[in-house]
Amino acid sequence: MRPTGEHGGAAAGTIESAAAQTVLKVDRISKSFGPTTAVRDLSFEVSPGEIMGLLGPNGAGKTTAIRVLSTILPPTSGSFTLSGTPYTQPREVRRQIGVLPESAGYPLQLSGEEFLRYHARLFGHTARAAREVAASLLSEVGLTERASSLISTYSRGMRQRLGVARALVNAPRVIFLDEPTLGLDPAGQRQILGLVRDVAGERGTAIILSTHFLDEVEETCSRVIILNRGEVIAEGSVAEIKRRAAPRTARAHVPPELHERALSALKQASGVSSVDSSDNQRGWLTATFDSAWLDEHREAGMNSVIRSLTDADVPVLSFELEGGRLSDAFLLLTEGR
Amino acid sequence: MTSLSRSEADLRTPPTQPSGAWMVVAGQELHDIWLSARGPVIVLAFSLLLSLLTYLAAANKELNILDQKDTVNLIMQITLGIGVAVALLFSADTISGERERETFESLLLTPAPRRQIALGKFLAAVSVWPVIMIVAIPYVWALKLGSGLFADAVAAGFVAGTLLTIAFASIGIIVSIFSNSNRLSLATSFFVFVVLLAPTQLPLSGWFGDFIINVNPVTAGSTFLDRVIVKDQGWGEASNLLIAPILAALIASSVAFVIAGRLRLQAGIDR
Repeated sequence: MRPTGEHGGAAAGTIESAAAQTVLKVDRISKSFGPTTAVRDLSFEVSPGEIMGLLGPNGAGKTTAIRVLSTILPPTSGSFTLSGTPYTQPREVRRQIGVLPESAGYPLQLSGEEFLRYHARLFGHTARAAREVAASLLSEVGLTERASSLISTYSRGMRQRLGVARALVNAPRVIFLDEPTLGLDPAGQRQILGLVRDVAGERGTAIILSTHFLDEVEETCSRVIILNRGEVIAEGSVAEIKRRAAPRTARAHVPPELHERALSALKQASGVSSVDSSDNQRGWLTATFDSAWLDEHREAGMNSVIRSLTDADVPVLSFELEGGRLSDAFLLLTEGR
Repeated sequence: MTSLSRSEADLRTPPTQPSGAWMVVAGQELHDIWLSARGPVIVLAFSLLLSLLTYLAAANKELNILDQKDTVNLIMQITLGIGVAVALLFSADTISGERERETFESLLLTPAPRRQIALGKFLAAVSVWPVIMIVAIPYVWALKLGSGLFADAVAAGFVAGTLLTIAFASIGIIVSIFSNSNRLSLATSFFVFVVLLAPTQLPLSGWFGDFIINVNPVTAGSTFLDRVIVKDQGWGEASNLLIAPILAALIASSVAFVIAGRLRLQAGIDR
């Protein structure tokens, strides 16, 4: 994914190359329901094989964005193209996408194999080809042994894998996965994410992954868009987003008998603007950095805390940075909005 | 889980112009109706009811208070009523049922045209009518009417029932398209049916009675059967009673066809 605005200064050749590589191009999509704007001015591009995370708290507009991009809902304004096919040709767009909706229901009276065959037929496969596609996909998602079992007997994890298989029946160029690991145990989550990476890596399918689980995004996605109340509040690589929540505080645990000496040393440490020793557990100290200083000394900033303590002959029993994770960036960006 | 080579993935790419989605949908819906308990149980219950009626009418002379023509008419009226009601309820379940079971979004995400999805579901819903009719035929035959009257009764029942089934299954689809809840869809559809069925049980007379009989497709269809089977009227003589069922079938199916093109994930709003 490349934020659309980044193309402005690129050379013509680079632009052409990027355009050739872009499978989904979204240009200022908005969707309103009466007076409520669910998605506002969403723009991005996705390349083949890329996994893009779509993050946001509940009600941020993630599901609405996916429904617009999968032609279930028409946009109020803006446009998008999928491999050059404009959104005004929804059937052509649907031919090229796969979707695992957030609230995907399954016909419980069918077997997994029958379900996949049915959807393969709806995408235009012949009966014979649909059988082959279903068998191949069931193997790919690890459900071959349960192919003829009724879906009603499947676990939630198996149903989600079946949903991913359904999203693949038409060999899509882009797959939208809306909360694919919701309600799964850690093993089930790992299976789904492994499947997602395989699909992107081996097929070159672009994947838009909407999730609440930030660990998943860090582990799986190369780029991220964070939505809040329908607006894009951040976009970029995971590393770029994490950098926005660079650690501003550090907590050090020192021997209680050396508490006062440690406090004095920290107050004199470079870049530390304040030290809080009000922690109920004596021996824990929290140092807060001066923002301007930290921006200039980002790499070495945290070392100053440890160095000041060791220079004062205070052993550091434990040390924690607060911030610097994707979850910190997410909270920082979405809190108070 | 096994990995997939690129060439295998390419083989999966479906044709660019898939056609006949309505047949695929109809096939799946027919599978759901007739290979699950729903369809066979209804047909079994219906055949048991007809068995009881036929037995009472044909075998037990003391309890037989109707002559044979009235009995055949009664059987055809019941056949028509049950066939239409079941088709109506099946069609009322089509869209709202998928919404309630949260399977509708996956269906809308396929390139199948909306109208073809609705058509496939409609055809599966009306499939109950010919089956009900075929089940009824041996019972009419068992009453040993003259061959001419037997043929007239079956043909009249088939024509009136087909028209009313098309009309009411279309109404069921329309109601279902506008309902997010299956309960609402089924209740509304059944209410419409009961309202139109009620006049058949009333002593209609005078100009107002004639007006209701001719305008209401259910009373018109029912009276048509009565005139052909009991009163020995020719088809030409009673054919004016088919106008309301024909119009109802045409109008309801046209409306259903038009609004089916705008099928939405949720009824009424773009949500």
